[in-house]
Amino acid sequence: MIKTKKIVINPVTRISGFMEINADIDNNIVEDARTEGLLFRGFEKMLEGRSPLDAVYFTQRICGICSAAHSVASTMALEDALGIHISEQGRYLRDIIHGCEFLQNHIRHFYQYTAPDFIKFPEGNTLFETDHTDFRLPQNKNDSVVGHYFDSLEYSRSAHEMLAILGGKAPHNHGVFIGGITTQATLEKISRLRSLIVGIRRFVCEKMIPDAYTIAEYYHEYFSIGGGYGNLLTFGCFNGYERLGSLYVKPLEYSEGKINELYPGEITETVYSSWYTARPETYMPFETIPEPDIKKSGAYSWVKAPRYRGLAYEVGPLARMWLSGDYRNGISTMDRTLARVLEAKKIANIMLTLLDHLIPGVEVQKEYDIPHSAYGAGLIDTTRGALGHWVKIENQVISLYQIITPSVWNLSTRDRNNLPGPGEKAMIGTMIINPDSPVELGRIIRSFDPCVSCATHVYSKGNLIKTMQVVP
Amino acid sequence: MPRRSANPQQIKSGWEVGRMNKVNNPCLNYSTRLKTASVLVHKAIEAIKHKDIQKRNLIWLELTGCSGNIISLLNGANPDFKSLASQMVNFIYDNSLMAAEGEAAMEKLYSMTGRDYILAVEGAVSTKDNGLYNIIGRWKGHPVTAYEVIKEFGEQAAYVIAVGTCASDGGISAARPNPAGCIGIQDMLDRKVIKLPGCPCHPDWFMGTLAYVMLFGEPETDNRQRPLMFYSTLIHDICPRRPYFDQGIFASKLGEKTCMFKLGCRGPVTRVDCPIRKWNDRVNWPIGDNTPCIGCAMFGFPDLMEPFISYDTT
Amino acid sequence: MNDREIFINMINDNLNEMNGTIDCLYITTSICAKNKLLNRLRRNMSNINLMLQGLRNGESMSSPPSIAERLFTMQDLSRYNGRDGNPAYIAVNGVVYDVTSNAAWGGATHFGLSAGTDVTSQFASCHAGQPILSKLKVVGKLVE
Repeated sequence: MIKTKKIVINPVTRISGFMEINADIDNNIVEDARTEGLLFRGFEKMLEGRSPLDAVYFTQRICGICSAAHSVASTMALEDALGIHISEQGRYLRDIIHGCEFLQNHIRHFYQYTAPDFIKFPEGNTLFETDHTDFRLPQNKNDSVVGHYFDSLEYSRSAHEMLAILGGKAPHNHGVFIGGITTQATLEKISRLRSLIVGIRRFVCEKMIPDAYTIAEYYHEYFSIGGGYGNLLTFGCFNGYERLGSLYVKPLEYSEGKINELYPGEITETVYSSWYTARPETYMPFETIPEPDIKKSGAYSWVKAPRYRGLAYEVGPLARMWLSGDYRNGISTMDRTLARVLEAKKIANIMLTLLDHLIPGVEVQKEYDIPHSAYGAGLIDTTRGALGHWVKIENQVISLYQIITPSVWNLSTRDRNNLPGPGEKAMIGTMIINPDSPVELGRIIRSFDPCVSCATHVYSKGNLIKTMQVVP
Repeated sequence: MPRRSANPQQIKSGWEVGRMNKVNNPCLNYSTRLKTASVLVHKAIEAIKHKDIQKRNLIWLELTGCSGNIISLLNGANPDFKSLASQMVNFIYDNSLMAAEGEAAMEKLYSMTGRDYILAVEGAVSTKDNGLYNIIGRWKGHPVTAYEVIKEFGEQAAYVIAVGTCASDGGISAARPNPAGCIGIQDMLDRKVIKLPGCPCHPDWFMGTLAYVMLFGEPETDNRQRPLMFYSTLIHDICPRRPYFDQGIFASKLGEKTCMFKLGCRGPVTRVDCPIRKWNDRVNWPIGDNTPCIGCAMFGFPDLMEPFISYDTT
Repeated sequence: MNDREIFINMINDNLNEMNGTIDCLYITTSICAKNKLLNRLRRNMSNINLMLQGLRNGESMSSPPSIAERLFTMQDLSRYNGRDGNPAYIAVNGVVYDVTSNAAWGGATHFGLSAGTDVTSQFASCHAGQPILSKLKVVGKLVE
């Protein structure tokens, strides 16, 4: 009887971008696991020398499913650099756009990306044919979720429609800009937005949340699979309003069972295991953009590894819901999914509050002077977690642009202490029922909602020795 | 704006007449063009029902890009994604949506070798280091690069449709200094590629083009291989803010309701039907959002379309 | 009626409307109506702003005709980059053209080219045989 196996899953489908999972199995238990992103474009290098104002539209193209997140972070970084204080109305408008993206993303992630792991589609559609057989929902419940798979498209689409009403178009909006957004609220727009959000909220409450709990009921062991470190971190979002205070969560972190204030100055990134050289090897975001170095010895991937006070952190809806106190059931694969759908309802409520406080006809745009030299940071929690943009301006053009995306936190590589990234850690120790059809690994990693398009620094050369099949 | 007495010289020009028609009675040209995609898709679905044409196999490859075009496709309203996936084509492969993963997913892709299929591609092709900057999966143990997969499936496809600016011309993935050595798919293939640039591609452009090729074969294209039914109009010619341009009334910052020529609007060099079709259930578009067109549907985007926003233009 | 008179008439219309609105504001007690009236005032102000811009643009366009044989060195030309109040000029085959109001030169840039430069080679590679130059206003000649 052969006990040790190697499992390679590539492509990990139903995520944004390209990824490979590598796992060593001993007696059906995952001994070691690695997550590798398989796409490199080098946005940070591209941004050097461009006009700082162009960063807002440029960085959105990092990601097709969360483009608005980048527009918000990049705008905040520029506001910081240009010393612009955004008006309260400007923030409401921009945060409503950001909220639209949360809803679009969460609905699509649950129905289009997560649900096919757990529900069986009727025969006859090639898109939904799958090789595993671990489907447990009774026929009537299964068919109801299948129906909602297609119904959900209408609501994720309305979320993007709302985004376009304020932002021009989606994906890749034009509306988010320094000072807030580029258009004004009108009574007509507000009532249109309200009617759409009410519809989305109803779908989330009446269909999506019950569906998630149905899946949780029949896949109960996933509450004890895929926990990981249990370190959680958020940059905060929908917080710090002058009039409304905090509607969601402040910058916080959770480690060793305690919630603490977050000090962004203590974020570092390391290229210890990555094909980059940087001086120093572990650096602060403003310090340096590492140079690619494919021949670096000891490196195994192009994934960088962000750390907070030296620790790897999980980011995303569960981290936020936990830190805000909205959800404390546990930290696991299923908890991530439940936190995500529950967060969708929370975001819809926040958006209704913001809509109530919009004043029609307030103009928030100005003409902006680009300083000769300046720097700024934009840190915001977005759909998938903590997103940071750091910009340095010299001679009125971008001289350095650092991006640390949520998926880089979640898919990060090993550091000097050989600590695996949160996604890798979550897979290690998992019991694989059938190593020939290791459905558990995809389910665990998808609960993080990985976005490899975002992790633009991520690159794997691919190792020809490995094989794709499950081998002894 | 208060009413103004019309200048007789302007009335003569075509756009002004068109614009007035739009205001007073719906312009036939506009209303027909808005229906192009849905009419074609419904025609194709009807033809499949009556067995006049066959459902085709569709492979959708996401390569070096942001996977935003498949998200945009999900935003399609009329026609929508459901009618595409269930009534028009057998959706064989798409990284973002297919249920299968790993080897099983790749098996579906390779099962199409030697068979009839239409290939839709989003994202550019990374060529640096033998294409290893973008691996889309593993087949029989070997990593499959974007470069290889486009070679393998591009030449044999019944039609190749480049969806979005990256697949069409390299797009933002090829922005200077082009760290991953990205190129558009036409540069890889010795055959006709139908290009649907736009960042992202509008769902109507793709659905309409797909239905057209299924019904009638290759659509008529311009000299950059873009279907004329969607890409024949210069934005500037039908821009609702054109009267401001002609009067020399220019916005000095984003958020103003006048012509954004001085801010660097690329509408005068960009050919696509945005001003009519608009985005996301036709609710808005960039110029309608008081921001300049950044020419995202043009070759050379983004490098040749920058700066996107200039404040100090005379 | 020329453009200038149209603009002035329109500014007067707006001023008259504003007068009426202000009178209404004195006697209105409802907050809702007040907000509406204030919004109307804002709209008038932005209208007037537009007219003023239009007037200014009109003036800059009707500046005295330039001397056809005006000579530009490359350094002179680079000053006319379309920024900070300078017009946008380009040189093709030794002739200097004004593209300040040319639609394809939004933001004084065109397919990655900036105004204030000699674009002879780029013009030849992209627009050979197209009747473009004849539509541009000539402002002078480029000298070594």
